[in-house]
Amino acid sequence: MATIADPRQRTKRRIPIVPYLYIAPFFIVFGLFGLFPLAYTAFISLFEWNPIGEKTFIGLDNYAFLVADPRFWNAAGNTLSIWFLSTVPQLAFALVLAAVLNQALLRFKTGFRMAVLVPNITSVLAVGIVFTQLFGRDYGMVNTVIEFFGGDRIDWVRETFAGQVAISTMIMWRWTGYNALIYLAAMQSIPRSLYESAEIDGAGRIRQFFSVTIPQVRPTIIFTAIVSTIGGLQVFAEPLIFGGQGGVTGGQSRQYQTLALFLYEQGFRNLDFGYGSAIAWALFLIIVVLTVVNLGLSSRIASEDARPAPLRGIRSRRGPIERRSTAERRSTTRKEVAR
Amino acid sequence: MTSRRLAVVGLAVAATVGLLAGCSPSGGDASGSADGELPSGQTLTVWTFGATGLEDSMEAWADETGNTVEIKTSEFDPHHEQLLTALASGSVPDVALVETGYSSLFKPSAPYFVDLRDYGADDDLQGDFLDWRWEQGVGPDGQVFGLPTDVGGLALAYRTDLFEAAGLPSDSAGVEGLWSSWEDFVTVGEQYKAATGKPFLDDAGLFFQTVYNQGEEKFYADEDTLVYDSNPQVQEAWDLATSAKDISANLAAFSPEWNTAMANGDYAVQLAPAWMMNYIQGQAPDTTGKWNVVTLPEGGGNWGGSQMTIPKAAKNPELAYDMLTTILSPENQLEVFQEFGNFPSTPELFTDEALTGFTSEFFSGAPVGQIYSDSVLALKPVYEGPKERAILREFGLGIDRVESGEETPDEAWDSTMAAIELELSSK
Repeated sequence: MATIADPRQRTKRRIPIVPYLYIAPFFIVFGLFGLFPLAYTAFISLFEWNPIGEKTFIGLDNYAFLVADPRFWNAAGNTLSIWFLSTVPQLAFALVLAAVLNQALLRFKTGFRMAVLVPNITSVLAVGIVFTQLFGRDYGMVNTVIEFFGGDRIDWVRETFAGQVAISTMIMWRWTGYNALIYLAAMQSIPRSLYESAEIDGAGRIRQFFSVTIPQVRPTIIFTAIVSTIGGLQVFAEPLIFGGQGGVTGGQSRQYQTLALFLYEQGFRNLDFGYGSAIAWALFLIIVVLTVVNLGLSSRIASEDARPAPLRGIRSRRGPIERRSTAERRSTTRKEVAR
Repeated sequence: MTSRRLAVVGLAVAATVGLLAGCSPSGGDASGSADGELPSGQTLTVWTFGATGLEDSMEAWADETGNTVEIKTSEFDPHHEQLLTALASGSVPDVALVETGYSSLFKPSAPYFVDLRDYGADDDLQGDFLDWRWEQGVGPDGQVFGLPTDVGGLALAYRTDLFEAAGLPSDSAGVEGLWSSWEDFVTVGEQYKAATGKPFLDDAGLFFQTVYNQGEEKFYADEDTLVYDSNPQVQEAWDLATSAKDISANLAAFSPEWNTAMANGDYAVQLAPAWMMNYIQGQAPDTTGKWNVVTLPEGGGNWGGSQMTIPKAAKNPELAYDMLTTILSPENQLEVFQEFGNFPSTPELFTDEALTGFTSEFFSGAPVGQIYSDSVLALKPVYEGPKERAILREFGLGIDRVESGEETPDEAWDSTMAAIELELSSK
């Protein structure tokens, strides 16, 4: 028994080590730069902690204060509304932009595709400064245009909704092109035959966009929605720069102070590292919850996607296109096989 | 526990470095720098905010001693945040600027800075500076952790051409005759607004800050006693600033819009500490001769001024001290004033003809040397507490809410008090 068991055990022992070694660098790096800061932040959040002064253990007091702090809930609300104001139009624009870039007849394709990514590689600081000037009350270009068309000047920096719109514009400007490229990659894997058969059925460009393109890239839309959620909850630089001198509070009545900005104000401007850490953990939990909700929703949508029938509202009209296209696809495959 | 141990190790390292620096032979005497006693070929890192007016002097010192300076300029608040985290982590610059509004926050951390008494600063230099300015760089145990740079002082800059256009007197005597109190000042502003339809002031928040800066007490009576809600000076500043709502352009100070409005002449009066003269010249270079400077209603006041500090963990503390004594010497401060407008903190200059007789062409030949030295001599030293900045920020936001029409002055006062309480209670 023993003679037979020994070599087997040895091999058993040897095999697990090597793969773990291969993947170890990731876990070491993740542990150092991901897990440790997370745990250490949790540790600090239990203290009244001034970076060069006293450190006092106060248990969960920071969290109790946080839950009762109206500034926290205000920041959470602002974060969600800025996220909504920026993400929804941004993904819609990105889809349209990608569809345009995907047109076979478009000239200078590579040039355009590179161009849409330029905003994303621009420094957020530069974007903030330029947009703050554009949205200036007295000398801003946006107000000049509004006035030209007979509208009233808007005080972007001091009005709640206007300020949030202006900040959302900055976020959109930076990220629309990035999402468009992701969509473009997804669109290029859509079989051309689908469009051809849609055309035979008499569907115009817009019809094709809604009935072929969007259903085909749905998983990608879900992916970008999740990524944008995580990014949107961490919005920081845009409102900070937009608010100018009062940037850290997000305007005179904290009307566009995001959670990340509130964390910065408490942690670094007021040098209250304990409370700042508590906010950081709250933000982390909110992101986890929203991502899980998002995943749940999207797996539902994804499974809907797997069903043969598309969304209910346009089923009857879309039916034939889909069916034919499948037939078309099959025939192409056959042809290819024959060749 | 670990953190405390880390802090102890950090302190020990810092203390050792500090001791080593203190023991070095040339530690005591720093004036005779050029005779090769000091190391050359070194690089000094300096962290500042805004324009100290001392950058050129630092370069000149470096050229003379065969060293180099690397100056990193940041925004005002972020600069102090970075310095604090740097002190905690030990990766510090050789020289760092600390503004007076932040001094009290840094005072308890005096042990993190080189005690300049080790170099004889108290014996050699203290007498050169204004007492109350010197005190702002002294820690709880008497450590001298900072040397004073400039003093703000306060005065009023105004546009002569715009005053004329509004039918107001435009020469300095005439303008000073317009008001004997701040109430009069607001009334003149209303006349100006009625005559031109344009705002008189840039920002009511700055107005608040000016009047607040004129008091004998600010938000603290002493370290443990807060008087922000009962100090009559604060109350007066609040009432004046909120009553100026309609004559203010409601522009955030130092914002791009503010800069443009300054250059365009979209408001007529600028509350101006001495260093602001340089700022105005930089932002509105085409308005030479269209400005003038007069004294403030209701006495002198101060806004600004900093301490130059040497963190304990600095690599070249000895060299840094030599540079500081050079650039902060009375002669050099006079030069800086003449060139950049930053007012000296060394009183022996206040009677010096080169300073008192100094006039500015940009400001219609105003005797700015005399005006600012009067202002600085008239002001009283004021205690600034650890949360000074945070409280001031809430007041500024409250006035902003009144200016933007969001709240009435009474509502804004209540919301400001609530916000400050929240600010002070967060642990």
